[in-house]
Amino acid sequence: MSELNTGIFTADNAREYLEREPEMLIDRVSERMWTISDGVRRTLFLEGNNSIVAFDTFGTPGAAHAYRKAVEATITGKSIATVIYTHDHLDHAGFADDFAPDAEIIADEMCAKVVRLRQSRGQRVPTRELSGTRHEMEIDGLQFTLLNPGPTHGTGNLSAHFAEENLLFSSDTILPNARYGLMPDYHIWNFVKYMRGFLDLDWHTFVPGRYEVTNRERFVHGCDFIEAVQEESQRAFAEFVPIWVMDAMQGYVAAKLGDRFGDLDGFAEHIGLIATRIVHHYLMGGWSLEDTPEPGVLLADEVA
Amino acid sequence: MNDHSEDSGPAQDTPCEHCGIFTLGGDIPIQGAWRDITYVPVRDNIWSVSEGIYRTVFLKGRKGVVAFDTLTTPGTARAYAAAVGRVYPNNPIHTIIYSHDHLDHTGYAADMAPDANIIAHDLCDKVVRARRADGQLPATEVFEGERKSYSIDGNDFELIYPGPTHGDGNIAAYFPDSKVLFMVDTVIPGVGYTFFPDWHLTPYVAAMKRLLSLDWDVFIPGHFWITDRQGFIDSLDFYDRMSDAAQQAIFDDLDPHDWAEVTKYTNQNLAGEFGQLFRFEEYCAMNLSRYMQQYLTGGWGIEGNWQQETTPL
Repeated sequence: MSELNTGIFTADNAREYLEREPEMLIDRVSERMWTISDGVRRTLFLEGNNSIVAFDTFGTPGAAHAYRKAVEATITGKSIATVIYTHDHLDHAGFADDFAPDAEIIADEMCAKVVRLRQSRGQRVPTRELSGTRHEMEIDGLQFTLLNPGPTHGTGNLSAHFAEENLLFSSDTILPNARYGLMPDYHIWNFVKYMRGFLDLDWHTFVPGRYEVTNRERFVHGCDFIEAVQEESQRAFAEFVPIWVMDAMQGYVAAKLGDRFGDLDGFAEHIGLIATRIVHHYLMGGWSLEDTPEPGVLLADEVA
Repeated sequence: MNDHSEDSGPAQDTPCEHCGIFTLGGDIPIQGAWRDITYVPVRDNIWSVSEGIYRTVFLKGRKGVVAFDTLTTPGTARAYAAAVGRVYPNNPIHTIIYSHDHLDHTGYAADMAPDANIIAHDLCDKVVRARRADGQLPATEVFEGERKSYSIDGNDFELIYPGPTHGDGNIAAYFPDSKVLFMVDTVIPGVGYTFFPDWHLTPYVAAMKRLLSLDWDVFIPGHFWITDRQGFIDSLDFYDRMSDAAQQAIFDDLDPHDWAEVTKYTNQNLAGEFGQLFRFEEYCAMNLSRYMQQYLTGGWGIEGNWQQETTPL
C-alpha cells in the first residue's frame, strides 16, 4: 500500500474516505480561467504562458488527485507550477503533496504560520509568504490582485481580484445561499465590513469557495443577510430568548428574517445554526485577537 | 442558600449601563436584569457562587474578598457582588481574577467592583485590551508563562496556564492546602457546551490532563455543579470519544452542516454510550458537528493548532 497523506485524521480506517476521487465539474470562465467544483467546494485555475496557476487543492488526497487530473486534461502540455492557498483549512488547502508536490506554494504569512504549526500530513508549507493587505501578482504572464482585508474566515484568507475577467474569488466567505452551518472559524467582528470593502473594486462575477458561481447583486444580498442575522441574534439575546437552545434561536430569527431572506437556498435548515453561532459572538466577545475591532495590527505583531 | 432578597441589590431590570459589544443601541433588558445568586462554602476560605448556569468562586480574606470573574451581564455582576456582601458584609472585593477573556465570564468588572485590582494571564489581557468591550476592564496585573504563586490577603493559591484550552489565557486556580482546583469553560458536567465555542480542540485534552499531576479532589467548573477528580477524567474521556465518533461520521459521509441528519446520526449512534449524560439531547449533535469540522478543516488559528503538551505540571 502506498503512503497515504492522512491530514490530521488518527483513525485507522480513513483510507477509503481519503482515497475516494469525486467527480469534478469544470466551467470555463474566460480564455485563461476555469472554475472547478467537487459538488460543494469550488476553486479556480489559470493557464499561464508556460505553466498552470491553481488555487487550493481540495480536501482529501483523492480529491486532490481528481483536481490534478481535471486540470491536466483541460490544459494539456503544461504543469502546475504555482499553487495559491486561499486560507489554511485542510478542506481547501490540505493536500498539495498530492496535487502538485513540486509547485511553488504562495500564501499569506498568517496562513503559513498556522500550516507550520499544524504539521498536517499532506499540507505543504508555503514556499512564498505574503505580508500585508494587497499584492499585485504577475505570474507567468498572468496578472491579478490578492487581497487580505483582515480576518474573515480561517487564517490568512486571501481573495483574488481579476480585473480582466471582471471577477472576484473569495473562499468560504460570502456564499450564494444560506448554507453557512455553524459558521466554522468565521471572524464575526469585521466580516461584513471587510466583505463590503470588496465592492470598491470593479467586478461583476463572484466565485465563492462553495456552491455555484454568482454575481455582485447576490453578493450584496449575502452581506445583507449576515448583517441582519447579527442584528436579530442580538435582539434574541436582549429579549431573553434561551440562546443556547437551537430551536428557540431558529424560531425567533427565522420569523424575523424569513420575508427578506427566505429566498436563500438552505435558509430554513441553517438559520438556527447561524444565529446560534452569531449570538455567541455577542455573549462571549469575539474569539481571540482575530475577532477584535482592529485585528490587522495585532496580527502583524503576533507574526513577529 | 439563595440570595433573592429584594433589598440586597439593584431593582429588577435596571437599564444597561455597560453593553459589552452589543451594537443594538438603547436599553438591552437582559443586560440589566437581576438574577438570584446561590452561594455555597466549598472548603476553608473558598466559596462558590452560581446564578444557575454560570459558576465561579470567591475567597474570604482578612481585609476583603478575592473574587474570580464577574458572571455574565452587568445585572449578574451586581448580583454577584451583592451575594459576596451578604456572606461577608463590609468586606470589599479588592481583587478580581479573570479566568479567561470571554465577556460572559469576565465582561463586567465595571459593574461588580470598578476599583478592584484585576489579575489576568497576559494572553487574556491582550484580547481584553484589543476588544475594548464596554464594561470589561483591562488587567492591572498580568502574569506570563505557566505558573505563578500568589499570596493575597491571607489566601495562598497558584494560577496555572496549562496551554490553549478555551478562549484566551484561560487559567486554572489551584488551592493546594484545600485540594481544590477551579477552571472555567473546560470540564463541565455532561456533554460539551453547544458547539464547543472557542475551544482549541487540538491541544485541549492533553493540556487539561496536565492538571491531573496536581493533588486535588474537588473540581469547580465554570458552569453547573461542582464535581470531583473522576468527573474531570470522565469529561476528558468524552472528548476523546467524540473525536473518534466525528472521524467515523465523516467516513460515513455525514454532512456536518445538515442539522437534521447530524441529529439523527447522533441519536442513532451515540445515544447508547452518552444518552444518559446531562444535556445530551440539546448539545451532543452540536458537539459532533464541531468535532467533524476539526478534522475537515484542521484546528482553528494559532491556538487551535498548538501542538499537544503532555509534560506534567
